[in-house]
Amino acid sequence: MSFIEMENVTFSYRSEDKAIDDVTLSIEEGEWVSILGHNGSGKSTLSKLLVGLLKAQAGTIRVDGIVLDEATVHDVRERIGIVFQNPDNQFVGVNVRDDIAFGLENLQVPRKEMIERIETYAKKVDMFEFLNKEPQQLSGGQKQRVAIAGILAMRTDVIIFDEATAMLDPKGKRRVLEYMRQLNEEGTTVITITHEMKEAVLSDRIVVLKDGAVLKDGPSKDILKDRETLEQSNLELLLPLEVMHRLEEKSLGDERIKEHLWALSLNG
Amino acid sequence: MGIEFERVNYQYTGIDEKGYLALADVNLSIEKTGEFVALIGETGSGKTTLAQHMNALLTPSEGRVRIFGLKISKETVKGGKLRLNPIRQQVGLVFQFPEYQLFEETVEKDIAFGPKNFGVSDAEAKERAKKAIRSVGLDESYLERSPFNLSGGEKKRVSIAGILAMEPDVLILDEPTSGLDPLGRNGLLEVFSRIHRELDKSVVIITHDMNTVYEYANRVLVMREGLLVYDGDPLKLFSRRNVENWNLNMPDVLKLQRELEERFSLTLNTWPRSRGELLKALEEVLS
Repeated sequence: MSFIEMENVTFSYRSEDKAIDDVTLSIEEGEWVSILGHNGSGKSTLSKLLVGLLKAQAGTIRVDGIVLDEATVHDVRERIGIVFQNPDNQFVGVNVRDDIAFGLENLQVPRKEMIERIETYAKKVDMFEFLNKEPQQLSGGQKQRVAIAGILAMRTDVIIFDEATAMLDPKGKRRVLEYMRQLNEEGTTVITITHEMKEAVLSDRIVVLKDGAVLKDGPSKDILKDRETLEQSNLELLLPLEVMHRLEEKSLGDERIKEHLWALSLNG
Repeated sequence: MGIEFERVNYQYTGIDEKGYLALADVNLSIEKTGEFVALIGETGSGKTTLAQHMNALLTPSEGRVRIFGLKISKETVKGGKLRLNPIRQQVGLVFQFPEYQLFEETVEKDIAFGPKNFGVSDAEAKERAKKAIRSVGLDESYLERSPFNLSGGEKKRVSIAGILAMEPDVLILDEPTSGLDPLGRNGLLEVFSRIHRELDKSVVIITHDMNTVYEYANRVLVMREGLLVYDGDPLKLFSRRNVENWNLNMPDVLKLQRELEERFSLTLNTWPRSRGELLKALEEVLS
């Protein structure tokens, strides 16, 4: 049994079109998986279903063997944390300390331990010096790090990054990607929701979503060069791979160049 | 005569009365036509503050901005007698996530709202809506649709059409492609490029995407802690030795060109700016 199991899950918003159409997907404990898809492919809907923010009309979702429903949704949220795209919309506290505390209060963590966890995780994302700052004194990247600290402090088994780097500048992006890698190395299951191949390629496995259904699911190094799948789903081939394909088509360049282009692609 | 900044300082004042200098001694001038300017810099570096001075949404704390000849300074704006409406029409500013600001029942009404506000007749506003929707690469059938049933990329296009319908001379776009997938992003950038080429308007685009800067802009402005630290050609910017200190990424095309040239002792005949140009240049040198 996998840690997360989605079985024939279907979901529609008010309209007739299915946002998620009969999706079956499992994610193992400790995996780093990217859900890759164009705008409107259903990837954010999928993440909201996983944390019970939306309720599937058909199918079953199991987290660590527990079937997700109204009775278990709070237990599931203690296991799966989620960081969203817009750093402004998820800052709920009056200051950084308060914001990180929010999830812990919900978990009824004892006060002394709460203070310890807030400080530990604020340090982890380099926001310890900012504990008393208010949100308007922080940049987007800093607010996003606070959101991450809040989720880390809850010590969930899984963290979903739902386009969590989309609104950040290059430096902010790099840091968040670095946290994903670190967390996964420390054993957290990481799910990255993105339309950027550059980000998806950093994970072990990529699930390509199109029109609410799974188009492809496999190791990143296979999906990465699957030109047909990427074209079908409005996604871009990484530049070094596009060059590699072109050279192969025209029988140009030697093996060394191709090998190097491949190595560059794997680094995103 | 376009937009000119002369020794502009802008101070935000917090609740605690402690100020924060968002713009420090900025001098620059943007021509009325023919420019495609990228405005870049880290979050909090002053990009949006700078852009908001370009259509007089903000008034300099010190110094002056001249917008099509109209002088905007603390002194001239005092008393509220200066008519800023013409400027808002001449310099169209598209905010970040403009799609959140759509509100009418139909796309046509949404696009016509701006021009009507500036005193354009109903019939003329409808004509402009038709023209504007085509300029952003959507067909006229969209005019009858509800803006709320469109995709993210389409919503962005409709909001940009709303600004175009006011027939501004200069178009300023604050991170217009953020949140869009590659197809939506490239499509929208083509729209801006066409507006720039065919309608001969100056375009200023705020972005974090260095590929956009390198491929589209003929001039780049770099903001850092309120200072304008670079104003010039994009290729020269990315060739500077200290560019990494400014926390800017290298454009993918330039990065790969250099990587391949150094490692495999190649020399391309050009400086390709786009994927297509790079592929062509590599083919030439390898065949």
